[in-house]
Amino acid sequence: MSNPIFKQNYFEIFSVPVSTALNLSQLKEKNHELQQQVHPDRFASSAESEKREAMQVTSLVNEAYNTLKVPVSRLQYMLTLKGMDMNSETDTSMDGAFLMQQMELREEIADVQSQSDPLDVLDTMSRDLKNQAENLVLSFAEHYQQDELEKSREIVRKLQFINKAQKEVNDLTEQLEDELI
Amino acid sequence: MALLQISEPGQSTKPHEHKFAIGIDLGTTNSLVASVRSGRPDTLPDVNGEHILPSVVQYKADEIIVGIQAKQNQIEDSQNTISSIKRLMGRGLDELKSQFENLSDVLPYTFVQSDSAVPKIKTVAGDKTAVEISADILKTLKERGEQTLGDKLEGAVITVPAYFDDAQRQATKDAATLAGINVLRLLNEPTAAAVAYGLDSGAEGIVAVYDLGGGTFDISIMQLKKGVFEVLSTGGDSALGGDDFDHAIAEWILKEAAVKPADLSSGLLRLVLHEACKAKEALSDVEQVQMNIEFADNKHWSGTLNREVLNSLIDPLIKKTLLSCRRALRDADIDKDQVVDVVMVGGSTRALRVRENVAAFFDADLKVDIDPDKVVAIGAAIQANALVGNDSEGNLLLMDVLPLSLGIETMGGLSEKIISRNTPIPVSRAQEFTTYKDGQTAMALHVVQGERELVEDCRSLAKFELRGFPPHVAGAARIRVTFQVDADGLLSVSAREETSGVEASVEVKPSYGLQDAEIEAMLKASMEFAGEDKDARSLREQQVEADRVLEAIDSAMADDGEEMLSADERESIQQVRAELAIARHNATETQVLKEAMAKLEKVSANYVARRMNASVQKSMAGHQVEEFNK
Repeated sequence: MSNPIFKQNYFEIFSVPVSTALNLSQLKEKNHELQQQVHPDRFASSAESEKREAMQVTSLVNEAYNTLKVPVSRLQYMLTLKGMDMNSETDTSMDGAFLMQQMELREEIADVQSQSDPLDVLDTMSRDLKNQAENLVLSFAEHYQQDELEKSREIVRKLQFINKAQKEVNDLTEQLEDELI
Repeated sequence: MALLQISEPGQSTKPHEHKFAIGIDLGTTNSLVASVRSGRPDTLPDVNGEHILPSVVQYKADEIIVGIQAKQNQIEDSQNTISSIKRLMGRGLDELKSQFENLSDVLPYTFVQSDSAVPKIKTVAGDKTAVEISADILKTLKERGEQTLGDKLEGAVITVPAYFDDAQRQATKDAATLAGINVLRLLNEPTAAAVAYGLDSGAEGIVAVYDLGGGTFDISIMQLKKGVFEVLSTGGDSALGGDDFDHAIAEWILKEAAVKPADLSSGLLRLVLHEACKAKEALSDVEQVQMNIEFADNKHWSGTLNREVLNSLIDPLIKKTLLSCRRALRDADIDKDQVVDVVMVGGSTRALRVRENVAAFFDADLKVDIDPDKVVAIGAAIQANALVGNDSEGNLLLMDVLPLSLGIETMGGLSEKIISRNTPIPVSRAQEFTTYKDGQTAMALHVVQGERELVEDCRSLAKFELRGFPPHVAGAARIRVTFQVDADGLLSVSAREETSGVEASVEVKPSYGLQDAEIEAMLKASMEFAGEDKDARSLREQQVEADRVLEAIDSAMADDGEEMLSADERESIQQVRAELAIARHNATETQVLKEAMAKLEKVSANYVARRMNASVQKSMAGHQVEEFNK
């Protein structure tokens, strides 16, 4: 693992500034560029040790790309760059109003099948959740800028809630669509 | 003879600069081998001009027959003639039994329970695993490649269904090892098809590859851009294909004829399946077919199968494939209308009903212009060629994904996902574990693959036993386990105790795969019995060598034979040359050919020396001796 890439953070690997706002198509292009150089297929006729290193480096590039590509993991990673670990937190208290709102949403999801047009309702929910997520990312950027890490972390936790709800909405949509076919 | 090949100083001979590599499509029903020659990829025919090799192996007591002839013998020797073996790759008998209601209907063979988890089929040539049977198909293809290309192969790219799990991939790689093939890469079939199609058409954008073969279905959503083929998502069913259409039709026939499958011999069952397949293929061209089948005891059945009935039989199966398409699109986060092309791959996409349904689903034109049987092998050949360094532009890049999530068993029989499906590969993930007993120095991890929550609903891949970390108080050890999936989609596991830095030893116990020792034993056995194979191979190698020698002497004689040799000398060389030419075509023993070459070498030894001399003098002409002393 002598390759200098192992000492770089994910943003450095992709030569982009540490920021919540990333140009995804640029990121993708850079990913292709990196893969052209490091992918194991470029080392198919090389010595075993080089092949192994190519596999490890490409695994790292893939991991970095996947982390930066998705907002919630990108934000989480930005916190770890400042020494904040999401998993070892002791204070798990959350904004009460937010939790209340989440519980209501869960009830609505559970209830959706009794609606006259459940797919429409789910579509609306999905759009709302998407908007909420976007707003959370914007507010994270502000707090992160000010080094308000506790606040930033709370936003990431909210984002995790939103993502979970979004996944439930998607799964249910999929299930209902399958039943319709 | 090497001396004859001297070239002008400063110029190097480059006869071996081009490295040969092949692409192999190891299919359920048919297999193919392709390679890139003079920049053009194409499938390679056998001596009779046949490109397609039916994936059928007939075992006789003293002979193994692969391909068309085996297929023809299938009905009369159904117990020893194995087809559709791909369905068994990396699978256990218990799994297959639960998957198919009538296993003997799908695979009408006698299975033997062995000590190993891998099922074996009883044949007159001994009990055979799916890996060994596949290896026999691969050997035939490899030999065809070597004979056509007339050279040693650098290696091969072998295609697998994208939806193959780790055990199925590993079994394929094991089969290649057994066949003596250096595997450059396991390549997903839809990716291979996209390469063949994309490089041919220069297409860019989002492409869906719908691949319905004999026994497997794959859907891949890919992005094509300037030589980069990026798989966004993949899905499918590794146990659904055109064979299932045949079975549905066969069941219909038996119902119509009021015959119970249990009352039929395996040969007769084969016959019914055969007729079903024929009817299916015919219905792509005509509206209805008349069928006649002689069952035993003078029971005769005749009936008519029309398109409408056929459609009602296969529609449920097609619908299953479209559900996979929907999920793949969702996983890729792509809308249907973003898909610019749908590439159709696999023999079963010839069925009109399949094309109608897929076109309606994607609301797009289908790409059917590359032969759906050949497109996968051609794509594999293109990648094989690039992997050995023949791709001069060097910008072909295939980025693939893990088809099914990998997880480990946790308390209560739940699967905890470690790497989720559609993650780009290669990928590596680490997870930390601790001990639950004082002084514990070993632990076992059960790795499963699949999307379901319960371990019992996923496929069991292997148990990894980690040993040799230093004893700690319970909960104090920090064991970091790294799961690495390589570019072939194959998993390996390593573990390290973090507080001490001690690497644990990892023993893999595959659930449905062969252990390393079993492969080794098979390799050994195949070497012992492969005496004849080996002879044929070394004869072929000597023939290639003889061709080279003949070519070298001919070109030398044409160059300077007149000026350097007397008439007598010329004649004796020509005479021995003629002897070698005859031996080249007629000799059946390596030794004869070797002797003929040695004789030519001897008789032309003086000539070689003179040429060498002349060449050295020529290169020194016009130079001062002092220059060479420097």
